Amino acid sequence: MKHSIRNRLLGTTTCVLVVFLTLTGWVLDQSFRLSVTTSAEEQLRLVIYSVMGAVEDDEGVLNVAEGLSEPRLSQPDSGLYAQIADDLNGSLWVSLSTTSEVSFTTPPGEPGTFVFAETPGPLPRYVLSYTVIWEGVDVERITFSAATDQAPFAASIGEFRRSLGLGFALAMVVFVLAQILALRWGLIPLRVMASEVEALEAGEAESLQGGYPRELQGLADNLERFIDHEQRSRARYRNALDDLAHSLKTPLAVIRNTMDTRDPDRSLLTEQLARMEATVMNQLSKASARGPVVVGRPVAIVPQVERLIRALETAYVDKKIEVRLDVTASPAVRGDENDFLEIFGNLVENAFKYAHSQVEIVIAVEGEDAIVRVSDDGGGIPADMRADVLDRGKRLDEMRPGQGIGLAVVAELVDLYGGRLQIEDSQLGGALIEVRLRP
Amino acid sequence: MRVLVIEDEDTLRRQLNDHLKAQGFVVDSAADGEEGLYFGREFDYDAAIIDLGLPKVDGIEVIAKLRKESRAFPIIILTARGHWQDKVEGLEAGADDYVAKPFQMEELLARLNALIRRAAGYASPILMQGDLQLDTAKKEVRVKGKTVELTAYEYKVLEYLMLNPDRVVSKIELTDHLYDQDFDRDSNVIEVFVGRLRKKISPIDCIRTVRGQGYRFVAETPG
Repeated sequence: MKHSIRNRLLGTTTCVLVVFLTLTGWVLDQSFRLSVTTSAEEQLRLVIYSVMGAVEDDEGVLNVAEGLSEPRLSQPDSGLYAQIADDLNGSLWVSLSTTSEVSFTTPPGEPGTFVFAETPGPLPRYVLSYTVIWEGVDVERITFSAATDQAPFAASIGEFRRSLGLGFALAMVVFVLAQILALRWGLIPLRVMASEVEALEAGEAESLQGGYPRELQGLADNLERFIDHEQRSRARYRNALDDLAHSLKTPLAVIRNTMDTRDPDRSLLTEQLARMEATVMNQLSKASARGPVVVGRPVAIVPQVERLIRALETAYVDKKIEVRLDVTASPAVRGDENDFLEIFGNLVENAFKYAHSQVEIVIAVEGEDAIVRVSDDGGGIPADMRADVLDRGKRLDEMRPGQGIGLAVVAELVDLYGGRLQIEDSQLGGALIEVRLRP
Repeated sequence: MRVLVIEDEDTLRRQLNDHLKAQGFVVDSAADGEEGLYFGREFDYDAAIIDLGLPKVDGIEVIAKLRKESRAFPIIILTARGHWQDKVEGLEAGADDYVAKPFQMEELLARLNALIRRAAGYASPILMQGDLQLDTAKKEVRVKGKTVELTAYEYKVLEYLMLNPDRVVSKIELTDHLYDQDFDRDSNVIEVFVGRLRKKISPIDCIRTVRGQGYRFVAETPG
C-alpha cells in the first residue's frame, strides 16, 4: 500500500486540507472573539452613558436617579454592574446589582478616554471605565465604570467554536469521500489496464482493448509493442529450436552412418558439416537478433552504412572497388543497432565480395519507409537462389553454404522488423538488393 | 615469414600453429591478450592473427595498442560470424582483414598470404621481378619461365627478400623471420643458403651483399 497512487494523493490532499481548515478556523475564531469583545465594550459604553445621563448634581453631591433605563442594573447579581467613583473617596455610588466581590479596577485613564479591560478571577468580567472632570464637586476627577460577566459572551464563543468545528469536520468528511470517489473514478483506466494485462498473462486475451485516456495512451502503446515483440520472439525461439533440431538431426545421422563404414567418404562428411555449419550459423544469428525495440531512440541508418563502407574498404583494399554512396534522405529506424549492422554488413560485404569493381549504395525514404539499395557489378544472384532466400519455410534446410547464408540472415532479420527484402538485377550488371524498413 | 597468433582456445591455437608451420611460417602463439601484446611489442612480425574475444586484454585493445606504437605489420582478426560490431570495431582499431569463425584453414592462409604480399606492394600472388617469378600459392620459382628447384629454406630466403625489396636485410633478421628460435644461429648457414640460391637463379643477379650489414634485393620494378 506504500506505493499506492490513491493513498499518495489522498494523503497529500488530506494534509493540505487539515492545514487549510486549521488556519481558516483560527482566523474565524479570532475575528469572532474580537467581534464579541467589541460588542461587550459597546454594551458597557451604553451603560456608562445611561448612568451619566441619570446623574443628578445636588450642590456638589452626585446622585443617580431611580429608574435607570437598563433594568439589569437594578437587579442584584444580574451580571451587569455600574459604579461612580472619585480619586479621593473611591466609590461614590454603585448600582443595585453590584455585589461586594465585583471589582471595577482598570488601568488609570486620561479624562475623556475609555479604558477597557478584562478582570481575571473565578468569574471573569469585562470592565469599561470613563474618567471625566466634573465641575462643581469636591473632587473633580470622576470615573464612571461598568462591568459585565464574561460568561454569556464566552458561551456564545463556545457555541460558535462548536458549530465551526462541526461544519469543518463535515466538510472534511465530504471532501475526503469526494476525493476517494474521484480517485476511484480517475484510476479506473489503470485498473482496467491491469486486468487486461492480467488477462494477457493468463492467455485469455491477445492484446489490450485500447481506448485509454490521453495520459495512459503512450504507456498502452509501448506495452502493446512490448507484448507484440515478446510474442514474436517467443514464436521465433520456438521456431528456431524446432528448425535447429530438425535440420541438425539429418546430417548428424548421415555422419554417424558414414563414420561406421570402413572407409568414410570424406566429401560426404565435408558436405554434411557444411550443412550443419550453415544451420547453426543461421539459427544463431536469428536467435541473437533483438528485433524492433520498444523503447529507445531510432537508429540512424546513414552513419552505420558509412562506417561499414570504411571498414570494408580496408578489408577489400586489393579489389580497388569504386563505391558510390547516394544519400537522398537520412532515415532512422527504431531497433537494435547490432541488428542493423548485421543487415547492412552482410549486404555491403556481399557487394564487395562479388563485385568486379563497382558498388553502389542508395539510401532514401519512400513514404515513411527507410530504403537501402545495394547493387554491384558482379555475377548477380541466380533465380533459384533468390527464391530460396525469400521463401521463409525453405530457407534453412536447403540453403547452400556461401553467398546465400549472409543473405538468408538478412532476409530473416528484415522479416523480424516487418520489412521487405527484394532481389533484382542491378543496372551495374550484378545483383541489386533492396531493403525496406518501417521507421 | 614470422607470424604471431593470439587465440585463447587451445585446440584452435594448436591447429593454427600446425597449419602455419606446415606452410613454412615461423609461429609465435599466445593464449591471451597480455602475452600477445608482449610478443607484438618485443618482436618484429610479418603478420598477426588475432582473435577478438581474448582474456586479460581484449583483441581490439591489443590491435589498437600495437598500432599506437607504430607496429605496422598486417593483422587479420578472427571473429564469430554474425558479429558485425566486432568486425567493424576491429577494422577501425587498425586490423587489415577479418575471417569469420568457423573458417576454412585454406581461406585463412590465402588471406594471410595476400596481406603479407599487399604490405610489400605486390598485387598478385605471383611476385614478379623481371624474369624472376615467385608463385606464393604453389611455392614455385621460375626463371625466364623455367621452374627452378629450391629447397624449403632457399625458397623462404628468396620470398622474404622479394617481399622486402630495396632494403638491407641483415642475417639476424633473416634468421628471426625464417627459423624457429631453437635453430642454430650460425650466420654461415645463411651465407651458404644465399650462395646456393644465387647460383640456382642465375643469370638473374638481384641479391646483393651489403658488406657487414646483410643482403639487399634489388627490384627491377620497384615495389
